[in-house]
Amino acid sequence: MINENYDAVVIGSGHAGCEAALALARMGQKTLLLTLNLDSIAFLACNPSIGGTAKGHLVCEIDALGGEMGIIADKTTIQRRMLNGSKGPAVQSLRAQADKVMYHTEMKKVLENTKNLFVKQGEVKNIIVKNNKVCGVKTVQGDSFKAKAVVVCTGVYLKSDVIIGKVRQNSGPNGFAPANHLTASLKKLGLKIRRFKTGTPVRVHSDTINYSVLTEQCGEDNIQTFSFMTKTPPKNVIKCYLTYTNLKTHELILNNLDKAPMYNGEIKSEGPRYCPSIESKVVRFADKQQHQLFLEPEALSTKEVYVQGFSTSMPTYLQHQMVHSVLGLENAHIMRDAYAIEYDCIDSLELYPTLQYKKINGLYFAGQVNGTSGYEEAAAQGIIAGINAALFIQNKPPFVLKRDEAYIGVLIDDLTTKGTNEPYRMMTSRAEYRLQLRQDNADLRLTQKGYDIGLVSKERYKAYLNRVKQIEQLKNDLKTVVSPKKIEKMFNEKQETLPKVGITFKDVLKRSNIFVEDLVKYFPEFSKYKPNVLKQVEIDIKYEGYLTKQNIQIEQSKKQENTELSAQIDYSKIKGLRIEAQQKLNKIKPLTLGQASRISGVSPADIAVLTVYLKTLKNS
Amino acid sequence: MEEKTISAISTPMGVGGISVIRLSGKEAKNIASKVFTPLKNKDFNIEPRKMYLGDFKAKNFNEKCMMVWFKKPNSYTGEDVIEFQCHGGTVIANGILDALIDNGAVLAGPGEFTKRAFINGKLTLDEAEGVMDMINAESESEVRAGYNLLQGSLSKEINEIQNILTKMIAKIEVTLDYPENDYEEQTANETVEGINEIKTKLNNILKTASTGQIIKNGSKVLILGKPNVGKSSLLNAILNFERAIVTSIKGTTRDILEETYTFKGVKFILTDTAGLHEANDVVEKIGIEKAKQAINYADVILLVLDASEPLTKEDEQILSLVNNKNTIIVKNKTDLKNNVDLSKYNFKHIIEVSALNKNGIENLKQQIYDLVIDENIINSNLMITNMRHIEAIKKALKYADDCINGINLGITLDVVSIDLKNLWLALGEITGNNNNEEIIDEIFSGFCVGK
Repeated sequence: MINENYDAVVIGSGHAGCEAALALARMGQKTLLLTLNLDSIAFLACNPSIGGTAKGHLVCEIDALGGEMGIIADKTTIQRRMLNGSKGPAVQSLRAQADKVMYHTEMKKVLENTKNLFVKQGEVKNIIVKNNKVCGVKTVQGDSFKAKAVVVCTGVYLKSDVIIGKVRQNSGPNGFAPANHLTASLKKLGLKIRRFKTGTPVRVHSDTINYSVLTEQCGEDNIQTFSFMTKTPPKNVIKCYLTYTNLKTHELILNNLDKAPMYNGEIKSEGPRYCPSIESKVVRFADKQQHQLFLEPEALSTKEVYVQGFSTSMPTYLQHQMVHSVLGLENAHIMRDAYAIEYDCIDSLELYPTLQYKKINGLYFAGQVNGTSGYEEAAAQGIIAGINAALFIQNKPPFVLKRDEAYIGVLIDDLTTKGTNEPYRMMTSRAEYRLQLRQDNADLRLTQKGYDIGLVSKERYKAYLNRVKQIEQLKNDLKTVVSPKKIEKMFNEKQETLPKVGITFKDVLKRSNIFVEDLVKYFPEFSKYKPNVLKQVEIDIKYEGYLTKQNIQIEQSKKQENTELSAQIDYSKIKGLRIEAQQKLNKIKPLTLGQASRISGVSPADIAVLTVYLKTLKNS
Repeated sequence: MEEKTISAISTPMGVGGISVIRLSGKEAKNIASKVFTPLKNKDFNIEPRKMYLGDFKAKNFNEKCMMVWFKKPNSYTGEDVIEFQCHGGTVIANGILDALIDNGAVLAGPGEFTKRAFINGKLTLDEAEGVMDMINAESESEVRAGYNLLQGSLSKEINEIQNILTKMIAKIEVTLDYPENDYEEQTANETVEGINEIKTKLNNILKTASTGQIIKNGSKVLILGKPNVGKSSLLNAILNFERAIVTSIKGTTRDILEETYTFKGVKFILTDTAGLHEANDVVEKIGIEKAKQAINYADVILLVLDASEPLTKEDEQILSLVNNKNTIIVKNKTDLKNNVDLSKYNFKHIIEVSALNKNGIENLKQQIYDLVIDENIINSNLMITNMRHIEAIKKALKYADDCINGINLGITLDVVSIDLKNLWLALGEITGNNNNEEIIDEIFSGFCVGK
């Protein structure tokens, strides 16, 4: 029997596990990454894409902190677009089609080449705990790996079942083996185990799609990348296609709901409301005549095409009929069937915002096991769990991002304060201070923090400092006053009223029809600045008024966010709180008044009572 | 909470029939037993909500007084409360309070009893504010407004507006997370429409504020007129007692006189000024300056004319200072003759009285009342009297305009939603729905010690 010592063990090598392990190793901890199958490292089990609304933000933030997802995504991008491009800068989100084969290979390469990181195939059976402190893990084979911190990133693999029609198989995604032993150990440690569900659509052979009748979806150039370290933006080398379901498809589904595991009682677990199966969409939005489907190539090295929006757990013969009812897919050959997958997960309310389990020191959880959905959400938790595990080992204060600092902060605060009863998906609307939380300024928000905790590399830090300097320099240059004569041509062309006296370049940029591109065109001296520097400053100038307003909102919320609540408070004694609030507060034990205010079931009136209570406490 | 037992004198300072000293907290009964011995219950085996006569042993005197125990949670604060009713006067009340403090009670801060009531769920933030307004009320209508606040009628209206707003925000957010269902223009139009509706609602509430303010602060009625037209007599007639010195020598009233009376439950503050005419006398000149200022602050102006004489140059000068909206022309001395010709002026409210005989005074009071009070508002449940609420609604209206302006300038809805949120927050300041600590502080800071 093997018996080895590590600083930390990470269980699982999905998107959470990879970031957690890399963060630990890069912060100097000897780390063992255990995975059921080395071939499943960073596997894109569902969509061959990274990013999307709000998710693109998460990737940029992971990158700014010194994570890997953004770099690998840029490296393996085969097509990319900016969603919400016509809207404000805060809600624009990058979405990239990634080559799923390359994504796996590239991430595996990085893991293998990272100092302090040891990757190993093996299944964990037990987490060893002594005196409420984690000591290590034991595998199914009986091998022991001692560690001061353990990060559980088991994704959808815990006791997972794949369901297609009447057939239920104990299997992980894509035929990978499930992890059937660890749940019992988690239960023993006092964790509440829940069962969630998710699903994936069919993959069809590219040559059997009639593209001639479909709408092309091309990528965009000249948009930002995920990583601040990517020097050459990836090229758009593939096309995606758009098609729609139709009444015939809907009829097929509605007439066969008794065969749909989601509706005949076979699947009882909670599925993601924001990433529903096609049968859920058809039932819930009965008035809709059609639903969008995107056809996305899975990789350059394969002819498999992912049918986005067509997730289902119908029996295979119905899947065939459903696919064939769609324009362009009449003769499509299905290479992989769609399926639903059920798995064990925990209740994220049992975690601190560090993602440590409240009852056991050194035991962290990240990713889908916490009840989230999506690669990006998983990776974001992974990096935070990894960072906090490392800081815990190093005996340093924890690292928690606030809601006004990052989407990651919003994500983890939601999970540990509100909890979730369905797979949680990040959304733009969840972030209340989103004008500050943009993709373009993720490095300005987070790279210093990442550097301070020892995760950001010197190279990245240098690039960051350089960008900060450039931005300052440009802002300074924009203070220069320019005479009406010099801007006359530009203003005429852009249909702006020419001022009578000279104005600063900053004021020029404030005009609604004038953008940095125009500035560079008419005043080539600005072309020495990188596009991401120009864009950054343009946003700051054009949205100055709104940014100020939002900053005031943030400042006003600070008082509550900074008011700490002692874990000793027995809320059931405060009779002014409603019973539900007393119970929720006692269960979650929020760290601040701000966190308390976000607990569902705690009303503003309850918070007012708490505020007065705290004051009375302080005065007596 | 390591909750201390608090105590304070709950009746106003000064000489009175009785004083009430309140004691609230876990130790209330215990502390009381050390200093008070009921005459018929020497071992202090007391029952709640029963009055006990007994001996109170203060440091330097003994006092025969009454004591009642309100058992937790059936008390104002929700804790054990003991109240002593003793003979009036500061010495006795202070002596009792000192004795209670010597035996373990701590002095309560302003509003601390109400704060505890709030923490213990005896009343909500709205209700606390309503209690305060009722305590400070100086007229029946004001009590009614405080009571309505206590009933939550304003909160209900504001919550409804907030709900509409929440739905609008949600609609904008949906399009952000589902870019494929983008109806920016349509949503923008709907948003402007919705905001305009909210603005109408808020303006309607704000309209009640002027009546509300008058009910809270009283309506300012200014008496104007050249010397010796009977201004002071009119004041006395309205007040129904002799306040101003009445003589026939011009310029007797050099200081501004201020007196209040209530009519139909509303408080009116009556101000008499120095006779308004250009004077060489420096002292009187100051009086005139004051009167001109007072015109700006007054809700109603009673311009007094001597009905027995034709208009003089002085009268015409004064007439030119006021506007016809809030001015009532009072023709005094109608017991003599009526020689005043106002045909070249456009005054809507003209009334004839005889201050001397008290003729037409009730009629005048009614006219004043009608000018400032909208009966519909006073009889409705919703009327705002609180300055804090008025400011919040004005702020909300400003943010509403910001939203509309932003949309008109072509700012995308995801950005305009910042203004929508500000609007929401401003409304939350009224109901306490935005958890702003300063607001909570402000509400409780208005309380006096002992409440």
